[in-house]
Amino acid sequence: MQQDSKNPPQGDEQEVPARRLFLKQAAGIAGAMPIGLQFGVAGGGAILAGPALAQATGGASAPEVAAGYASLSADEAAFVEALVNLMCPADSYTPNGVDAGLAVYIDRQLAGAFGKGAKRYMRGPWLRGKPQHGYQLPLIPEQFFKAGVEAAEQACTAKFGKGFEQITAAQAEAFLRDLAEGKVAHDQIDLAAWFNDLVYPLFNQACFADPIYGGNAGKVFWKMIGYPGLPATHTINMIQYRGKPFPGANDPKSITDFS
Amino acid sequence: MKKLPKRAVVFVGGGLTAGLAARQLTEKGIDTLILERGGDHERGAEARLPTQRDELRWDTYQGLVQDWAVQTYTLRHASKEQALPVRWMEAFLPGEGLGGAANHWNGHTWRWAEYDPQLRTRFESRYGKRAISADMPIQDWGTSYKEMEPYHDLFEKLFGLAGKAGNINGQLQAGGNPFEAPRRGEYPQKPLEISESGLVFKQAVEKMGYKPFPTPAANSSAPYTNPDGQKLGQCQYCGHCERFICEARAKASPEVLLYPMLRQRKGFEVRLKAHVLKVIYDAKARRATGVQYVDLNTGEEIEQPADVVVLSAFTMANTRLLLTSGIGKPYDPVRNTGVVGKNFCYQTNSSINLFMSERWINPFMATGSTQYYMDEFNNDNFDHGGLGFLGGGGISGGLFHGRPVSARRLPPGTPRWGTEWKKANAQWYLHSLNFGIQGSCYPHRDNYLSLDPTYTDAFGQPLLRMTFDWRENELAMSRYVTAKMAEIAKAAGADIVGPAVPRQAPFDTRQYQSTHITGGTIMGNDPRDSVVSPHLQHWDAHNLFVVGASVYPHNSGYNPTGPLSALALRMGDDIARYAASPRLL
Repeated sequence: MQQDSKNPPQGDEQEVPARRLFLKQAAGIAGAMPIGLQFGVAGGGAILAGPALAQATGGASAPEVAAGYASLSADEAAFVEALVNLMCPADSYTPNGVDAGLAVYIDRQLAGAFGKGAKRYMRGPWLRGKPQHGYQLPLIPEQFFKAGVEAAEQACTAKFGKGFEQITAAQAEAFLRDLAEGKVAHDQIDLAAWFNDLVYPLFNQACFADPIYGGNAGKVFWKMIGYPGLPATHTINMIQYRGKPFPGANDPKSITDFS
Repeated sequence: MKKLPKRAVVFVGGGLTAGLAARQLTEKGIDTLILERGGDHERGAEARLPTQRDELRWDTYQGLVQDWAVQTYTLRHASKEQALPVRWMEAFLPGEGLGGAANHWNGHTWRWAEYDPQLRTRFESRYGKRAISADMPIQDWGTSYKEMEPYHDLFEKLFGLAGKAGNINGQLQAGGNPFEAPRRGEYPQKPLEISESGLVFKQAVEKMGYKPFPTPAANSSAPYTNPDGQKLGQCQYCGHCERFICEARAKASPEVLLYPMLRQRKGFEVRLKAHVLKVIYDAKARRATGVQYVDLNTGEEIEQPADVVVLSAFTMANTRLLLTSGIGKPYDPVRNTGVVGKNFCYQTNSSINLFMSERWINPFMATGSTQYYMDEFNNDNFDHGGLGFLGGGGISGGLFHGRPVSARRLPPGTPRWGTEWKKANAQWYLHSLNFGIQGSCYPHRDNYLSLDPTYTDAFGQPLLRMTFDWRENELAMSRYVTAKMAEIAKAAGADIVGPAVPRQAPFDTRQYQSTHITGGTIMGNDPRDSVVSPHLQHWDAHNLFVVGASVYPHNSGYNPTGPLSALALRMGDDIARYAASPRLL
């Protein structure tokens, strides 16, 4: 794999807005190592980078991501930032997960209606079901998310002698893969279910939902795949661009652009 | 409890069937009241740009779907198991609010096979009496396609269906479905534009000698005015159709075509935020005397007397209301007695992914119904001699949307995160598609609905319990038809074809499959094995009618909307006849 010289990595070694730098230092004081130092460096390979991609990841036009967390503690934030930077490294497609707004998205979802269990049947008794019954714990999603973070940190520390945000990128990758495959045991939390049924959907949404929710900053993921977004009135396009590249895919529009 | 003045006809549930039947009744000047638990979506964020195009809000977080915190269902796969509540349902999505699930539906609208209402007779005459296993209580409906045809025709004109006829008065038509039940004429509108994914499918199946045709769609291919003077806009192919409300008023829906008109009619009322708890039943007189509901604006419980009560809610709610109201004998699978909750069926689906680097699929240009279909392996359209199962599935190609959270296909073996994951997303989002199967699901003695003994809803009433799993007939059918689909996918010239995985047990609530759940209050000729008569009249209370997919004795390899709409229109006329002269019709 080789670095793509047109698209330098978007790690924290580069420009960091003063406010965010402050928050990260504060997180470091609270016991968590500043994140991104390991994962921010792109491990990305040679990629086909179209004009839209160059625009998406150009250093000067790095998208603005709202600072501060509404649900996560400093320790939890350190874990989540390390996680999203591992799952979404800076490369020629997108900035790293934090800079793409993924941690902010997850935090806002946990602090909001989803995290509080909105629309979810929450009456007992609480029995252990089959996987096909879906989630059956009395914890609201925000609580379960945090319980899983703590359990994952414990399992990581037991294995490596340090927390998830402190191990090397290769160690973190292997650890997360094991965890997703049910190979990381914990006496209370089913970490595979936690990751696959809660964390992974949040990660996926953070990447691909409308940027009004805080993730997909600058529509980087929509640009990456060629999703044109709104207004999506394709009656004529349907005929004109059937089987052909659609130009609107190079410049997607979100709800923000029409608000 | 506050008791209101009596009304002539009171509907429980303000969705598609209530709107259609109310059209027939109010046309004849019959006083009609509809009680709907939800609100009115028409001016909400769900029906306006730009908020309408919010995948996370309406799709991922089910903004138009029943609130599971208030009411959900419990599930067990067999009678000996403990049922657990489905705390967040993905498998199927009942609606809430005026228009019901017909707000967020796709729009596929079929007339079922001509033989579907006589399925038992059909199988027995074709394969012999022993072909139907004792565990499969298939039964004839007590009505026929011929009786329903005028109402199919009316419904298709009211909803401005777009399609291509395959059989006009017995004459097969090129480009249509050769297995179609005979129609009196063409569809009211020309078919929707074919999508690139539909084209891939069409080319592949034509090469193999099959006869593909456009899915009949309630997504308007052009501006349209129906016989009532109600208007549909032209479809925008926006890819926010199913799970969404169409802000362009181009998806035929009750809130576009029925309720605005009904609200202008004399003697029509719809009462929103009215959550019905039970039908009040006089067992001695064998009559429904009215309904009891909670006014959600005040919390007050109210009695609404009625001459005629109609259950027009979702499949599950129709069944639960009969059980909580103590009307009819609950089904008991052990002793094989009772009827309420019997013949609970679903839809046996599967799909396969195709990756084609040379084709620009542009999945985001789509409607809820942009697909081509083939019927050669659906239902009883092929010879089942020696196959060991009954039923089949329609095979289709075409995408309904390219919404990026949920509709990205990745080749097998792609990592789940990291740069390689992004690379695969970037490479295949615009260049992949899937073929799918919508398969029949026939009743099984152990698939049924009953009241849960443990769990209750927000009103303190028992949840409805599903005892359901995929049984061997459906699993064998799915294996057979999925293998046929895999052959077609291999013939399509794709770079990569994903695995062809047939439907597998156990039934999984975490995965969306279809909202087509049927049965529980089934129709038939005999009170011993049906809840309602062929005219949808309850055998134990002739002034109580039940309508919807809950009356289907089995589920076909088609979407359920067509026949239940025809039945609802006919029931409207039947209730008018009943009101003039109350009796068993």
